Amino acid sequence: MINILKKHKLITVAALAYLVTLICSPQTFMNAIRQNGSFLLEMLEILPPIMVISSLISVWVPNDVIIKGFGNTSGVKGKLLSILIGAFSAGPIYAGFPVAKTLYDKGASVGNVVIILSAWAVVKVPMYLVETSFLGASFANTRYLLTIPLIIVLGYVMQRMVKREDIPISQLDREISEIYDKLPQRHCGACGYTDCHEFAKAVKNGEAQMDDCKILSSSSKKN
Amino acid sequence: MTTVILIVIAVCFFLWSLFKSRKKTKESLKIAKGLFISTAIQIIGVLALVSLFLAIIPPEMIKKVMGGANEAVSVLWGSLIGTVTIIPAFIAFPLSKQLMEAGAALTAIAAFLTTLTMVGFATFPIEKAYFGTKFTIYRNLFSFFAAITVALFMGVIL
Repeated sequence: MINILKKHKLITVAALAYLVTLICSPQTFMNAIRQNGSFLLEMLEILPPIMVISSLISVWVPNDVIIKGFGNTSGVKGKLLSILIGAFSAGPIYAGFPVAKTLYDKGASVGNVVIILSAWAVVKVPMYLVETSFLGASFANTRYLLTIPLIIVLGYVMQRMVKREDIPISQLDREISEIYDKLPQRHCGACGYTDCHEFAKAVKNGEAQMDDCKILSSSSKKN
Repeated sequence: MTTVILIVIAVCFFLWSLFKSRKKTKESLKIAKGLFISTAIQIIGVLALVSLFLAIIPPEMIKKVMGGANEAVSVLWGSLIGTVTIIPAFIAFPLSKQLMEAGAALTAIAAFLTTLTMVGFATFPIEKAYFGTKFTIYRNLFSFFAAITVALFMGVIL
């Protein structure tokens, strides 16, 4: 029981806070419940398709495509692509986390992940229209023109400050990296896969066996 | 509207995947289910807390602090309120207009809108689960300052 509560700290805290509010001020409690309705609706509409898309990406899109498009050497094109992904996405920033993490796991750079998330939050094509109609074109234009360059600067700074080892590994990737750690990591390609990463993935999927690694099997024979 | 496009993309991608390989599609659904459950539980908690916060803080108070005599202080308030709240965008824009008409400073509104979407105090635990503490702290901190920078420049330009 305590473990479950610990695991879902947020829900527990929220439930307690609501309980206290209900006792102190039933009116506020009702207002909060009403607020929840619009939030939950937005979440239920957006989260399922987002999750389906990001998991389909992780299953179908090969890593080298992502590395080429969003990796450390993707340059200006990678930054533009990152802004576009964010601009044409839907939903609040928390819907962007799973997608960005999937791309990151597949080799997108830290900087580009930050650009995707920031663009996801601020640079929105449909939201731009809403902003113009409510706050005026000059307000929206100025805000966008100032924000976009800053997002790129932000990506650059984050790339400098946060290293790959600072970011946790996904469950799925953890198994792969455990296998990867046991490999010689010389990326010789003798097993038939392009590098040790690809080989580790194949072992995890049951397509290859550890013995297929030529370096491992030859060194074990010597001993 | 975007939600509809999003759902259409997801359905098309899914059907394409199903057509190409049933096994891979099944695998991806398993991943999607896991992602959804773990994220949804946290998001429900976050949204519940934010709703409560919004219900407790009266809108008049928000108007007052974002339209104070000192514009720099208003900007700071705007960005702080944007940081601690999550409001769906389709509510945030009409609300901003209301606030502006009620006397909130333009720069404070700009700061509020930018931090509202980019900086998330409430989504901190979710972001941390995906990207780790260091990434999350730095990204939010830098985004906060970026939002204030945008707001101040807007005050100069407009």
